[in-house]
Amino acid sequence: MDIYLPIAEVSVNWAVLVMLGALVGFVSGLFGIGGGFLMAPVLVFLGIPPTVAVASQASHVVASSTSGVIRYSGQGAVDYRMGGIMALGGAIGAFAGVEVFRWLRLLGQADLVVALSYLLFLGSIGCLMLYESLTEILRRLRGETPSRKDRRRPMWLYGLPFKMRFPRSGLYISILPPIGLGMLVGVLSAIMGVGGGFILVPAMLYVLRMKAGVVVGTSLFQIIITTAITTVLQAGRNQTVDIVLSMILVVGGVVGAQVGARYAGKFRAEELRAALGLIVLLVGMQMGLDLFVRPSDLFLFAPGISDG
Amino acid sequence: MIPIPPPPPAIVAPAVPSPAPSPAPVQAPERSVDTASDLRIAAALTNARVRVDSGFSGASIVLYGAVFNPGDQPTDVVVVVRGPDAPVRLVKKTRNLGVWLNSRPVLFEGAPGFYMTASTRPLSDIADFGQLRRLGVGLDHLRIAAPEESRTVTRYGVRDVVVSRLGEDYLDWRRAVIRLREAAALYNTDPEGVSFVDRGLFRAEVELPTTAPTGIYNAEVWLFQDGAPASVSNLTLTVEKVGFERDVYEFAHRQPWLYGIVCVLLAGLTGYLASRVFRRF
Repeated sequence: MDIYLPIAEVSVNWAVLVMLGALVGFVSGLFGIGGGFLMAPVLVFLGIPPTVAVASQASHVVASSTSGVIRYSGQGAVDYRMGGIMALGGAIGAFAGVEVFRWLRLLGQADLVVALSYLLFLGSIGCLMLYESLTEILRRLRGETPSRKDRRRPMWLYGLPFKMRFPRSGLYISILPPIGLGMLVGVLSAIMGVGGGFILVPAMLYVLRMKAGVVVGTSLFQIIITTAITTVLQAGRNQTVDIVLSMILVVGGVVGAQVGARYAGKFRAEELRAALGLIVLLVGMQMGLDLFVRPSDLFLFAPGISDG
Repeated sequence: MIPIPPPPPAIVAPAVPSPAPSPAPVQAPERSVDTASDLRIAAALTNARVRVDSGFSGASIVLYGAVFNPGDQPTDVVVVVRGPDAPVRLVKKTRNLGVWLNSRPVLFEGAPGFYMTASTRPLSDIADFGQLRRLGVGLDHLRIAAPEESRTVTRYGVRDVVVSRLGEDYLDWRRAVIRLREAAALYNTDPEGVSFVDRGLFRAEVELPTTAPTGIYNAEVWLFQDGAPASVSNLTLTVEKVGFERDVYEFAHRQPWLYGIVCVLLAGLTGYLASRVFRRF
């Protein structure tokens, strides 16, 4: 059952990898996210070098997002124009992120930044999602009518130049905020190996105020482009993409994603958000814990020697 | 603790005078001439080529050999296997304001990627400290090249501070390299790893973990008598990726950009196929 991975240079049980891919794919299909933030910690736990884990799982995100976009596209729920604009920012961000990652590896601070980003982003977003969805569930249980949502858009979104129409999203706004959002996600994609759906979806809903129906499809479309660029950059610059590892994960992942998407319709949206918020928060805390617990060995090898 | 001087700069294979008056050098080529009067050792590997393929899960190689001992003074055999040297970067976790952070990395310019010794007795019983240090035999005497002077190397805009005159601290770092490699089964000392199966005939096992680096390994088989090396036999062992594993590795390193594009296309295609297949259900 063990298979030797040519780039990671370790031997792992492939059945475990397929199951991991399927499980993360299931979560990804259920919640409409990439699921990279779940996969990287488990791969590292299995003994795969963190740099290889982060770079290789990006292809898993590409595969599961592709199958998601095709499904949403059939329902007309992808705003390609908005996705394309965000992907432009994503490409710039991915470029910068891969270079920053290289630099951090040379400094020996890559683990710290990865752990901090997980703690910061996953922790805060997990808390927000959990809080928001729990209030909604409580309100429903008490039989109260949902409060009128503040539908006003932030004024600064309208003051910015380079306005463009996005008919599918129901927006006429400047292209700068989507580009900025894309850049942030691109950087995270390179550093954390995640698609960034957990940041994009809330930002598109609450900051850009896009139509809810197109949010998930558009974010998946943007994620495909950003992670595809990240994968090519990681392979080209750092040679850390293991095609055998990523294909094993992909095969499990696409099956899991389809099954997950089928189950998604059986739950209420706020219940799904509460569950996702809890998972996100737990993963963030687990990663952040490493910063506060005394390590078993004070010394450790710093990766990233091959680059001259 | 005893301040241990930094290891000598280069491996010097000692020209060991043979106890017999014969003028033949110790590392004489194997011949079928009468060598009965020489004290010498001969060794070979059962498998000098380890092939790393997709089913690779480590390897166990048997080293066997013979001791030609005309006298009746007891001898000891020490087997040393070294993997290819590679630079090692190490960081130390330090606690700042309750948070564990990495220090700046310290670079050791070359440490063997694999190192094992196997012997008939504990090394310290076979030869004294100076002798082992001179030959570089044993984990305590392993040569891990740190630059003599502290200097800064700028790489990619990052000052890679290389400190070698750390004194006590240097030993901590050095020990950490050995400890971490031992934990990964890459460094190993077995004081009873060489066993005599018959008079003059011995065997030892080289256990390569899956994480063993690829490249050329050198095996030295030393014969010690009275605490001094009497003879040595040198062998080489090649660990290489073969077949699909090698093709993928070379593709990823020779044409990294194309490789990345292939990875993405494969992933996208799989996603597309999956959504096609599942639409039927």
